[in-house]
Amino acid sequence: MTEDIINRAALTGIDQTLFFRVVESTNTGIVITDNSLPDNPIIYCNPAFEQMSGYKRIDIIGHNCRFLQGKDRKQAARGIVHEAISNGRSCVVEIRNYTKEGKLFWNELYISPVTNDEGVVTHFIGIQNDVSSRKKSQLELERVQIETEKLVIERTKMYQESQDFMTSIVETLRESLLVIDHDFTILSANAHFLNTFKVSINETKGRLLYDLGNGQWNIPELKRMMEDILPTNNPVLDYEVEHEFPHIGKKLMLLNAHRVELEGQYKNWILLAIEDITERRAVQQRKDDFLSIASHELKTPLTTVVGYLQLMKRLMPAEASEKFRSIADKTERYVHRLNHLLSDLLDVSRIQTGNIEIHKEPFDFDKMLIETIEGIRAATPQREILLKGSVECQCNADESHIIQVVSNLLGNAIKYSPDNTPVTVQVTKISDVIKFSVTDKGIGITEADYAKIFDRFYRVAEVQRHYSGMGIGLYICQQIILNHGGTIWVESKRNVGSTFNFTIPIQG
Amino acid sequence: MKEKKILICDDDHGILEMLEMVLEEDGYQVVVEAKSINALNRIAEESPDLILLDIWMPVITGDQILSQLRADHTKSNIPVLMYSASTDGKLIAEKYGANGFIAKPFDLEDLLHKVSGLLI
Repeated sequence: MTEDIINRAALTGIDQTLFFRVVESTNTGIVITDNSLPDNPIIYCNPAFEQMSGYKRIDIIGHNCRFLQGKDRKQAARGIVHEAISNGRSCVVEIRNYTKEGKLFWNELYISPVTNDEGVVTHFIGIQNDVSSRKKSQLELERVQIETEKLVIERTKMYQESQDFMTSIVETLRESLLVIDHDFTILSANAHFLNTFKVSINETKGRLLYDLGNGQWNIPELKRMMEDILPTNNPVLDYEVEHEFPHIGKKLMLLNAHRVELEGQYKNWILLAIEDITERRAVQQRKDDFLSIASHELKTPLTTVVGYLQLMKRLMPAEASEKFRSIADKTERYVHRLNHLLSDLLDVSRIQTGNIEIHKEPFDFDKMLIETIEGIRAATPQREILLKGSVECQCNADESHIIQVVSNLLGNAIKYSPDNTPVTVQVTKISDVIKFSVTDKGIGITEADYAKIFDRFYRVAEVQRHYSGMGIGLYICQQIILNHGGTIWVESKRNVGSTFNFTIPIQG
Repeated sequence: MKEKKILICDDDHGILEMLEMVLEEDGYQVVVEAKSINALNRIAEESPDLILLDIWMPVITGDQILSQLRADHTKSNIPVLMYSASTDGKLIAEKYGANGFIAKPFDLEDLLHKVSGLLI
């Protein structure tokens, strides 16, 4: 064998010194261990190995290779190396090694046995390459892969959870909800829909909206909304549809439709929410009827009381005491107030039933205003009421209704501000409208209440505690002004005062 | 001068009684009818100089009575003063040709003024 080698070397014509120089010059780390010595010590290392490990030759020679792993002993690669050396075989491993300074580097280690003529392993040669940067990229890739997988699992779970969450929301809704494809096929229907319209999911899902229940949803108004209105007005809200269903009878429905345009597969889905307001409307109607009947019925006995009171005053004996006369006067005043409240209630019920009638006739706005203010001054002589401006024109409107609005707004200004503060009425002609404003230095209104105060039976909590009233005056004012094609609004600051304004067209 | 006779038709006894008292106090002869269905017969019997007519009554409403009265030439010239608690009563009164309208609750001065105006 030795001869063989010598022969091969001779054949190449290269002398042994060149081999040594090659080994010394390569930038691959090379070590040779002597297997015949105890603990297989290193007997040779080249400069590249010194460079790679940071150790000097003197630190290396005589040591077993294991010092390169430092304290990082529990590496699977070490087992492979150990086994290869025990069995005199070669192996390739990637092993974590540490430089003299303790810095980790990944070593791609090739171990090969060297045998003598008898086939006995005398030495091992270790070829070392620092593959830290390659290993780093590889590890990074593995980490990203693991994280990606984790993320996918997490996202899938989240998606599943949010699907479940959405489903539970849809199922909890006390409103019917349909998800409809762009060709009007029902994609899903919630439990409320199925219960309200007495249908099963099998009769619903996958069917065309207009085919549902033998065409009972083939409603012209619904079709108009879905096909004519929704494509250009998204969403459509509070669309009222009344329909007689074969089994469940007449239903009044309030529809909200949203066209959903999500990327990808959800393109042009339609969410259709159906609120059954049949019962609510009927209750409202009964309430309105009740209001109308009650206020009318209450007026009848009141008429009798008013009549007798007036008769009593007419028949009052000349010698009647002051006290007696005063009692009669007071009774009359309170009966008058009761009558006013009833009139307001009647007005509300008339507005509710759409029976508010506006009879426009030209009248002198300034004259009307002066007379109305005079009337209020007579009733509250202690209050200062200032009138600023004039319009100097005829106004085509319902005079009695406009008087009602002016009296109401002025009455409120007086009622909700201190007695020692003035109330200012300003009137101006702007373009083709008349603008009326009344300003007080009263308690004011918070912005949150600006719109609500015009709702019927709405009263600001603080006002409710300190002032009597039913909360219908402003509602009536608003309805009258709206019926005149005008606008009514409030501007106010808490504890500074309020200005109520309305505008009405001069020509009506 | 002969006392002027006023016929009042209203389903509410309280109002009938009150109006009767008020008008008698002012020197009128008053007859009352609480059943609207009898109104036309009573008018024929009594031949009043003026009719005070409530609008909202059960069975036959004031405007129905008025239109029948106006259709009957023997009685069509009797002045009729209508009254109601609802403000649209005024429109009904005008539409069916009443000679006047007064809103409930009445202002007695106004009522007596209108009554005497229609009896001249």
